Amino acid sequence: MKNFNWLALGFLAPALIVITVFFLAPVILTGIFSFTSMSTSTGVTGGEYLLNQSGLRALADKGLNQVTLDQLNNAGYVVDEQGLAALAEKHGTATADEMRKLHDNGQFSARRDMERALKDLKANKIRSTKDRKAAAELFKHSLLNERFEAEANFRVALVEGDIPIEDHEIIVTQAYTGWVWTVDNVKLLFSLPSTLRYAGNTLIYVTLTLIFNIGFGLFLAITTFYLPAKSASTFRAIWFLPRILPPVMYVLLWKWLTWDTGFIATTLSWVGVAPKNWMLDTSTHAWVVVVLINGSFGASLGMILFSSAIKAIPSSILYSSEVDGANRWQQVRYIILPHLRWPILFVTSYQTLSLLTSFEHILLSTEGGPGRATEVWSLAAYHIALDNYGGNLQYGLGATFAVALVIIGIIASLFYLRFFNFNEMVAKPKIEG
Amino acid sequence: MQITLQNFTKTFDDVTVIEDMNLTVKDGEMLALLGPSGCGKSTTLFAICGIHRVNGGKILFGDRDVSDLPSQKRNVGVVFQSYALYPHMNAYENIAFPLKVRKDKPADIKRQVHEIAKLTHIEELLERKPGQLSGGQQQRVALARALVRKPDILLLDEPLANLDAKLRLEMRAEIRRIQLETGITAILVTHDQVEAMSMCDRIALMHDGKIVQLDKPSEMYNNPANKFVADFLGNPPITFLDAKHQGDLLVLPNGHEIKNPKLAASIQSLQVGIRPECFGPQFGTGIKGVVKFIEKQGREELFDIELTDGSQLRSIQPSGADLSIGDDVDWGLSLDDLLLFDLQGERL
Repeated sequence: MKNFNWLALGFLAPALIVITVFFLAPVILTGIFSFTSMSTSTGVTGGEYLLNQSGLRALADKGLNQVTLDQLNNAGYVVDEQGLAALAEKHGTATADEMRKLHDNGQFSARRDMERALKDLKANKIRSTKDRKAAAELFKHSLLNERFEAEANFRVALVEGDIPIEDHEIIVTQAYTGWVWTVDNVKLLFSLPSTLRYAGNTLIYVTLTLIFNIGFGLFLAITTFYLPAKSASTFRAIWFLPRILPPVMYVLLWKWLTWDTGFIATTLSWVGVAPKNWMLDTSTHAWVVVVLINGSFGASLGMILFSSAIKAIPSSILYSSEVDGANRWQQVRYIILPHLRWPILFVTSYQTLSLLTSFEHILLSTEGGPGRATEVWSLAAYHIALDNYGGNLQYGLGATFAVALVIIGIIASLFYLRFFNFNEMVAKPKIEG
Repeated sequence: MQITLQNFTKTFDDVTVIEDMNLTVKDGEMLALLGPSGCGKSTTLFAICGIHRVNGGKILFGDRDVSDLPSQKRNVGVVFQSYALYPHMNAYENIAFPLKVRKDKPADIKRQVHEIAKLTHIEELLERKPGQLSGGQQQRVALARALVRKPDILLLDEPLANLDAKLRLEMRAEIRRIQLETGITAILVTHDQVEAMSMCDRIALMHDGKIVQLDKPSEMYNNPANKFVADFLGNPPITFLDAKHQGDLLVLPNGHEIKNPKLAASIQSLQVGIRPECFGPQFGTGIKGVVKFIEKQGREELFDIELTDGSQLRSIQPSGADLSIGDDVDWGLSLDDLLLFDLQGERL
């Protein structure tokens, strides 16, 4: 470390901090979260021990024997000293004594029976239904729906409930409401039918948008190349607008265009077409709009890159093709397009990667709808983890979706690196004099 | 095919580059458009092949007026200074390109490309990309591409400028050989007088957008129309001395007198152009001076001589003159070869 340069480290430090805080940390945390069961219901800190009906069903699925299940479920109501003491506190000792006399150690499996027992008290009848219900609760002797702060307390309760000791472990695991380390997210990812749907949607979205992007970018670049310089730059500036507009405003314009009271619907109503939402009417509508929104936004990048690449073609080569007899179309096909090979490959790979991860325009326009017709992978990850209709935000599962997307992105990059020989692409200028 | 420019005018925005130019290139002739840079020679060439539009006058290929035709419809072959080979196509595809866009049959294309490749001696190079070819080879491919569809006229825009000295010499002869073998009408644009003189049947010397002299190379050298032509042609260049015409004597600034110059009596002052090969010891004595500079060129030596009055003359001599800087000399002039110009530069 003799040559270690502290000054260089000093200069790098701000950048390193920014990279660590805003890039590395989120990536690593996402990776970590993807192996947890974190959600709104588990919270992100610790948890409690709580067994409810759905927990029981899950235990049944896991193969817990029926006897134990019944024990957990039907613990029911027992008139014991603990309950009587509580009753005495609420309704007086006389009531408690009468209850002891009539039903000492009596057991009721249903609340109805317990309430009737309370109603049937002769001397100290509890008249109000509400009070009876509350009183019945005092004798409740079940693990169900009871919260335990610590694991030890829960285990004690299990022992008290005469639950066979060999079943404790599985019940404790089920009852824990906090998050745990798990690979269930990955299993779920591969087993959910919607995963396939998101993957298919993503494929459609990336492919169609890419084709539109590149095709339209090329069209604009080539047509503006043949226009007089001034009108060409005006034309290019117009197509650059979507990129400078704030995305929310840009998408709002599209909504205004396609809403059922929007421009298209209104205009067409004059010729007798019933107004409808042109964005969300069918999934085909939604896809067309999604591709147009993203395509018009992305085409400007291709247009700028292709335009400058065309300008970099030596004019003598273009002149030469003209005196060789090539018409405009032949000039485009045989001279200009071959010169654009590298820019096209670059834009393709770059746009693939950015389209895979971008969902803001879909989120703002169709929000994945109608149904889940335009729900792409990255949007699904966002919905699962951060904006769930059901309200239970599944951070862990969402993180797994995000990690899967990162892996897909890396594979796609490697594919492009190999297939397009990216190293050679950036090694030396491809347009020769 | 005979090429005719009639009152050809070319302007760029407000700048008139060429005005009312008239030029006829005879069928099968190779003509040089020679001139310093900026004289309009390339502009003329680009107008002939249709890359630049004509702003006035006519361009005729034979009897056909092509002034308003785009270059695609003119049937011209052009070799550009940078060769302008298509970098993504190999030599074969480059040469085949004009035929391919004309939609010739593949078999015909193959036959014609091989014919022209044989003529230009590049049969072994057809598979290579331009990047894998040397400058001279690229030049041959460009020439083959220009010739393959048998154009009415071959236009060469500074074709040798990018080659090294030895290749330039070789390609000079090659281009001329191919032009003679095909019998094609050709126009060579160049700023190099040696190229123009060695390759072409006639030279059109251009200056400021005008043709100042159109002549055979030897005629133009020996008999320049004006001072600009005399100055532009010849390497090492000519030197000029101011002279007075007194009676029947021509008096040089150093006092040397030349008898009987056959000049009109009205001319008092004039300029005498003396080429380096017209001044030296083999022409007698009478011009005294001091050697100021010697440039040894191997076979020949070039001397700058300062005359007694301070004016300079240049002389080229076979090597071995045994002179050094500062030596005094007393040499003579070849009186028959003196070129006389008036003060406006016109030939007398």
